[in-house]
Amino acid sequence: MSTPVVDVQNLVKWYGPRLAVRDVSFSVAQGEVVGLLGPNGSGKSTIFRILTGYLVATSGFVAVAGNDATTQSLALRHEVGYVPEDAPLYDHMRVNEFLQFMAQLKGLFARSSTRAVGTVAERLQLTEVAGVPIGKLSRGYRQRVAIGQALLNDPKLLIFDEPTSGLDPNQVIAIRDLIRELAGARTVLMASHVLPEVEQIASRVMILLEGKLLTSDALALAADGQRLRLQVAGPEHLVHEAVAAVPGVRSVVVQPDSGVGDRQYLVETDQRSDVAQHLAAALVGRGLALSELVAVRPDLERIFLQLTRRPREEAA
Amino acid sequence: MRRFLVLLVKEEKALFSSPIAYVLIAMFLLIMGYSFTLALFISHAMTLVHLFLQIFVLFLLTVPIMTMRLIAEERKLRTMEVLLTSPVTETQIVLAKFVASMSIIVLMLILSGAYTVVLAIYGDPDWGPIFSGYFGLVLLAAALVGVGLLASSLTNNQIIAALLSLSAFLLLWIIDEYGYLLPDPFDSLVVNMSLSVHFKPFATGSMYLSDVAFYLSAAMLSLFLSVRALAWR
Repeated sequence: MSTPVVDVQNLVKWYGPRLAVRDVSFSVAQGEVVGLLGPNGSGKSTIFRILTGYLVATSGFVAVAGNDATTQSLALRHEVGYVPEDAPLYDHMRVNEFLQFMAQLKGLFARSSTRAVGTVAERLQLTEVAGVPIGKLSRGYRQRVAIGQALLNDPKLLIFDEPTSGLDPNQVIAIRDLIRELAGARTVLMASHVLPEVEQIASRVMILLEGKLLTSDALALAADGQRLRLQVAGPEHLVHEAVAAVPGVRSVVVQPDSGVGDRQYLVETDQRSDVAQHLAAALVGRGLALSELVAVRPDLERIFLQLTRRPREEAA
Repeated sequence: MRRFLVLLVKEEKALFSSPIAYVLIAMFLLIMGYSFTLALFISHAMTLVHLFLQIFVLFLLTVPIMTMRLIAEERKLRTMEVLLTSPVTETQIVLAKFVASMSIIVLMLILSGAYTVVLAIYGDPDWGPIFSGYFGLVLLAAALVGVGLLASSLTNNQIIAALLSLSAFLLLWIIDEYGYLLPDPFDSLVVNMSLSVHFKPFATGSMYLSDVAFYLSAAMLSLFLSVRALAWR
């Protein structure tokens, strides 16, 4: 097995008397896109700041691309592109000037810095605002500049802390698409308290609450079963009968807003690869017209609520 | 070294793109011009001793304004997070800010060199005290900027940073007045912490290693502590 890009073992961080991160361990493999989900103040930003070398852990082991955060902090920072929350930037600098400055700080000089800035500006559509002072940019453009500086030296790991915070809906969609596009070739860690956002971008979701990692793969928690959505034409009772007879089916319900023609059904089944195949055969065998059969992604909201409620209830 | 130069250029641009640097330089030249002219007409002496003593006081009052924003502002605006998640060290950041601030002071002193030109044109000044005076002012400024940077690294609030360094400077300016009242050996200990006691010999043309060491060690200690304060997160 290859070395993980991110390796965190028993991470603890105290801010004076306050325990911000409690014995957190996880790893992220090359090419993974991992979402870190948790309410405000749950320790997401603290973990990211430790991963970027900005904060020092109280105890535990943190490494990025094999570089220990304590003893090889500078080497670690070469491997990480970090987009902090709310894009703190130098407002007096022009976009191009800021990107050049950051490229040089990241060790790119002369032609390589100019080339990197040009590539990033083009990719993030910043060329038209290259000469504009950052203080005069919209929030969407500011966020693009912040993402741009993180990409300059083509780091192994990209970290986004609440990347769509404070953006309008159009900007949110644009930034989400951008992250999804960037994620293709890189390892990405993204923090958010917006569930659908994480669900849409991440391939794995970790849930953090009050500094404690509740799960390092929330989506796998739903793997004790799967959900399938069917669209079938025909009498409802026949569909129920046909579906219920298939081995592995646990329940079937009609989607409340599925109209009067082809109705949509949500089927909960065991985690078996052949259930969908048997369902299709059963429906077609009874002469019912099946027009759609898709697997529904696990309901992250349900998992999140279950996990975050439990510790609170236990504490109560 | 390359990253230090990149940071230095950024600091120089930030200093000279804000009106503070120009206002400070203009105010400095205005006050010094008035003082120089008045001293020359009254005493008719080919000396800059009075001018150096006035620059000493003016530095105590203006350096806090110059240094208050250096680290406090970057912390408050969270741009320090951008810097410190890039592959640069705290030492490079602090030194770049220090050298950039010193460059404004050196520029002020170079501009005040116009007065020496006037003296040279109309008389035959004693160059020894002039050189030692300027040398002393650079050393004094290094210590003051160091302490100002330290104050700025201790808080996110620029006003508090300015008040911290101003209070320290005013205390160290007059501390010898009270030091003489103390019993031995505290009297010499406190008197030797005085900024003015160590500066007066420079202004009058005497250079002592102890005075040079005092300012240099104050500058280095405060820079070291600034780096530690920045690294403590």
